[in-house]
Amino acid sequence: MSYISNLMHNRPAIKPGLWILIVLTAAVLLVIPPLSSLTTITLLSRIFILAIFGMSYDILRGYTGIINLGHALFFGGGTYLAGIMFSRMGPTLDVLLLAVAITLAFSAVIAYIMGQFAFRGTGFIGVIACAMITLAFGEIARHTAETLREYTQGADGLTFRVPVIFQDRVMMYYYAFLFMIIMTLILRRFVNSPTGRVMQAIRDNEQRAKFLGYDTKKYKLIALIVAGMASSLAGIMFALLTRFANTELLTVQNTLNALLYTIVGGTGTLYGAIIGTAFVQLAQNYLLELRGIHEIFSRWLLFFGAIYVLVVLYLPKGFVGAYLQFQAKRQSRKKPA
Amino acid sequence: MEPLLKLDNVSSFIGPFHILQGVSLVVYPGEAVVVLGRNGAGKTTTLRTIIGLIPASDGQIILDDVNISKMPPYKAVRQGIGFIPEDYGIFDFLSVEENLLVAMWQEDKASLDRRDYILDLFPDLKVSYKRLASTLSGGQRQMLSIGRALVNDIKIILIDEPSKGLAPIIVEKVRDVLLDFKEDKTIVLVEQNFEMACAVGDRFYIINEGRTVLDGAVEELYKDKELQKKHLGFVTA
Repeated sequence: MSYISNLMHNRPAIKPGLWILIVLTAAVLLVIPPLSSLTTITLLSRIFILAIFGMSYDILRGYTGIINLGHALFFGGGTYLAGIMFSRMGPTLDVLLLAVAITLAFSAVIAYIMGQFAFRGTGFIGVIACAMITLAFGEIARHTAETLREYTQGADGLTFRVPVIFQDRVMMYYYAFLFMIIMTLILRRFVNSPTGRVMQAIRDNEQRAKFLGYDTKKYKLIALIVAGMASSLAGIMFALLTRFANTELLTVQNTLNALLYTIVGGTGTLYGAIIGTAFVQLAQNYLLELRGIHEIFSRWLLFFGAIYVLVVLYLPKGFVGAYLQFQAKRQSRKKPA
Repeated sequence: MEPLLKLDNVSSFIGPFHILQGVSLVVYPGEAVVVLGRNGAGKTTTLRTIIGLIPASDGQIILDDVNISKMPPYKAVRQGIGFIPEDYGIFDFLSVEENLLVAMWQEDKASLDRRDYILDLFPDLKVSYKRLASTLSGGQRQMLSIGRALVNDIKIILIDEPSKGLAPIIVEKVRDVLLDFKEDKTIVLVEQNFEMACAVGDRFYIINEGRTVLDGAVEELYKDKELQKKHLGFVTA
């Protein structure tokens, strides 16, 4: 149990065997585009981008113990800001760079304001208050996007063009892949830093972190700002991929999707979000395709729900968690404590 | 000599309950002061009020000429307090190494040297350095808790019932460590184990119903069976 928890909650140790698997997977992913349909390429690009959305949520829930029900506002905000700027100022690389700068500043400021309200309480009541306040922020963002029809086209959704270099689906696949790798390395460094260590201490017991001399609110704010910025960058990448933004991106359902990716993959493992996102997206896609085979699959959400229940029942630590558990058991057999 | 820590008529509440109703005590540099009293007298609350985990509603807490009465816990402890709570307060899901590192206010050479000193002092921690804290025994957890309080350059250590729930042999080890600390550290010790309190402490304060009711030299209390019976409810053999 101890070793598993250590792997689960501290620094997921990557064994040489796993490195080989990662490199092989990366190699396969790199050569997929010439051999696959555009639908598959787009689906995989989507997985790469949404994995970072999931990872950003893991920073909050898995590493700091924060329940944020309005996290989608950063992702959707990134998509909307990029979309609005492309549609108003033109789909150029300069505009993209400006959109990245503005989105990062926007998400940092909004995360700061959100945190100032959400992190006022401590203990169980603090967690509930945080969830409710962040939910309210998310709903305000969704309502604002619906109201500002002039900029967002309201519930109809905003369609826009993107810079030429992102229009090619194969190239977009590689950009998304590169984005996922870079963001994973950055976020990994962050969670393993001294700041990440304090965040994990807060997750374990906030009061204890306080009497060690840490302003826990400040560290929770840092976690929220970093997660918000990572999520908003994923939102921009999503804009480049889909060239469309609608208010669904800002809903609590989208936040719950991020939660789903982390739970299925393994909370507090960071990499689990990649596996979780891949599983959820592929399962959804497969079930949607089955609609053509039998009418019963038009109720695909029922089947998806059943799969989710099975995963939670039999793999409560998620896929990566289960792998680490297996590895820990093997090690403890070799080297009894 | 100026006191290092001074509590002047401190009051505090836990929810609606008025727990501390006027605690006053002074601790001079280099001495070990034990806080005694019956269960529920307010001993632990006194320590938690000093570091701000429970806000002081009245009175003053002065540490080294700085008024820390209204400071939040993270600011109060950074004035130079090491706090070792009754439940050890370690992070179960962090390793021994990470528990020590996370406790450092600065990861500088001096702190890392102190960490090395702690590992020499507690060889058990060195052996379990990469292990998760939740796998440690009660004694090891106590050692980690003490070690964690010492990785910073602190002025005073507040220790809450360090012998509670530990095997006699571990209690002896903890007592020896505290006796070592006495050489160059100031200690405030809350302890139910009267033998240990007398072994470590120079002076004592007795708290009853949230008020300090008696203070003096530990040696005198140890000899005075009547005082023990009156204020602590027991008599030493």
